Amino acid sequence: MFRVMLYSQWKWCRLIVVLGSVAGFALPLVSVQGAARADSSPLQAGELLQAVQSWGTLYPVLAAALGLLVAIATWAPDHRGRHVHALSLPVPRWRYVLLRFGAGATLLAAPVIAVTAGALLAAWGATIPAGLQGYPVALAIRFALAVLVAYAVFFAVSAGTARTAGIILGLIGGVILVQIIAGVANIDLDLFGRVQVLVLNWPGPLAIFTGRWMLIDV
Amino acid sequence: MFEHLDPRSSTPLYAQIANRCRVAIAAGELHPGAALPSVRHLAAQLRVNPATVVQAYRDLEADGFVEMRQGAGTFVREVAPEGRARERARQASALVRQLLADAGRLGVSLPELQAAIAEEIGVGTS
Amino acid sequence: MSNAIEIHQLHYRAGRTFEIKDLDLSVPAGAIYGFLGPNGSGKTTTIRLALGLLRPLAGRITVLGDTIPENAPHVLARVGFVPEQPHLDPVLTVRETLRFQAAFYPAWDWPWAERLLRQFELQEQQPFGRLSKGQKGKLMMLLALAQRPELLVLDEPTDGLDPVVRRDVLSALLDYVSQRRATVFISSHLVHELERFCDWIGVMDNGRLITAVPMERFKNGVKRLRISDAPPTPDSPPFVLLAREPANGTTETWLVRDWEPQMTRYFESIGAAVNDVIDLDLEEGFVELLRTFRSPRS
Repeated sequence: MFRVMLYSQWKWCRLIVVLGSVAGFALPLVSVQGAARADSSPLQAGELLQAVQSWGTLYPVLAAALGLLVAIATWAPDHRGRHVHALSLPVPRWRYVLLRFGAGATLLAAPVIAVTAGALLAAWGATIPAGLQGYPVALAIRFALAVLVAYAVFFAVSAGTARTAGIILGLIGGVILVQIIAGVANIDLDLFGRVQVLVLNWPGPLAIFTGRWMLIDV
Repeated sequence: MFEHLDPRSSTPLYAQIANRCRVAIAAGELHPGAALPSVRHLAAQLRVNPATVVQAYRDLEADGFVEMRQGAGTFVREVAPEGRARERARQASALVRQLLADAGRLGVSLPELQAAIAEEIGVGTS
Repeated sequence: MSNAIEIHQLHYRAGRTFEIKDLDLSVPAGAIYGFLGPNGSGKTTTIRLALGLLRPLAGRITVLGDTIPENAPHVLARVGFVPEQPHLDPVLTVRETLRFQAAFYPAWDWPWAERLLRQFELQEQQPFGRLSKGQKGKLMMLLALAQRPELLVLDEPTDGLDPVVRRDVLSALLDYVSQRRATVFISSHLVHELERFCDWIGVMDNGRLITAVPMERFKNGVKRLRISDAPPTPDSPPFVLLAREPANGTTETWLVRDWEPQMTRYFESIGAAVNDVIDLDLEEGFVELLRTFRSPRS
């Protein structure tokens, strides 16, 4: 059963997974470009850290995007058919959900492996200035966890009826709208900051997205 | 042979099927030893309940027209000429009954009917 | 097990106006049960409740000996279901859809699936989403049959299909039923189609099951009588008088239910005469039944 589920999942997600893998592989390499020089002056170290940090902001974005898109693609056929097919299959609901989750997670292994490979290659290939160290494995693990968390959250949201998913997305959209209006009206309102502080810094799985993603650090 | 089965007719479907077979056998279209279509095949082809086909075949068997052999199918039996003549007589009676019923419904009287029959057959009125 | 489906005192409500109340329905094992009713009468809802796709408010449902919804997965392994709307993954091809389905049903019969594939002339590499309505209908029937179920639950499987496809689909269905003694529960509003092969008829209207009888009784029960010299108010007839219309002269047409041949004596007793007894086909009987049920005569 898992095999056919994985296959149908693949058919829906293959573009996302392939593009995500390419991006994931390229990101670490791009972030260390220019670190091939032998002499390692403090200035260059600073430049390198700057580059790594600024490119590093893309890791959580990529993780969140992959998690979101694969989760949506996972539930797309069920939403289209209003869950009739899933409910008419001779498997308990929890098992079906588990199969879907597992299939999506298995596919997400590809971009994770791509990031790992890219990070290892980047850290190994770059000439790292004295005083700095490469953390490719730590980065890759963090990326893997971020992808998993994003996927799990969006999976849970999508697993509900289209209506609940719509409501949640609508709420997010509403908050964005309010923020924009406040910005236009020059009202000092930082809803996102508050929410961000609340949700992301609260000790929980979402904290993984905050902070700096450093392939190379002190 | 089985075209235009009419589920709306007062004759039940199994009887219609059995009748067609009887007519074919009596007319010699189905020879002795010939196999009738299997229940499965006929039910699917005519889109009727398999039980209907089984009942039709059982009827035919009871009348001595066919024999149902377990696992092999249903086969036409040798019917003596008297048997076939009897069947034709039965068909004729059924036709007449139907004709009389239709005539009654239309308000055609018996003498009118007889006159019409004579005219159609081409025999002069006595 | 004598009944393939047993529904007892089912109660369900959706929205403010639609309600199914006190529904009792039994489908004998091995029967081909036709489920009739106008649109919106609750046929699809009843089917969904019976298979555990919806939760009832009250009532007991037993399918193939197991309770629904507690044992739904165990039951569904033996039930071939064709829903009202195409429900399959639009991205998978015909062949991929078969493989997907086969993985879930242990009794799947690949040789027969292949044969039906050829018989239905389905294009294997076409994605489900791109199939025509008729092809989708055929594929859904194929999937339901290839898993070799004990019970087939079909929700308007031929609705909107052209006559050729309808024949193909029904032929395959009856072919299967002839092979093994499966129970069929088929809902439709194509009455004349069900007439050919159903041996039970249940009629639903407005959330209630208004009649459930063997086919012969339904067909033979409702008759049109041509009566002459009938009195204006007949007293306590042994049948149910549904309607009465003047024909020509002193003759009238009576529409009656629960008629039996010996009831002609009743007419003799009231000084009338029965000129003719006309059978109604299933469609007319169904329409008349609904009409009289909705506006009952005193």
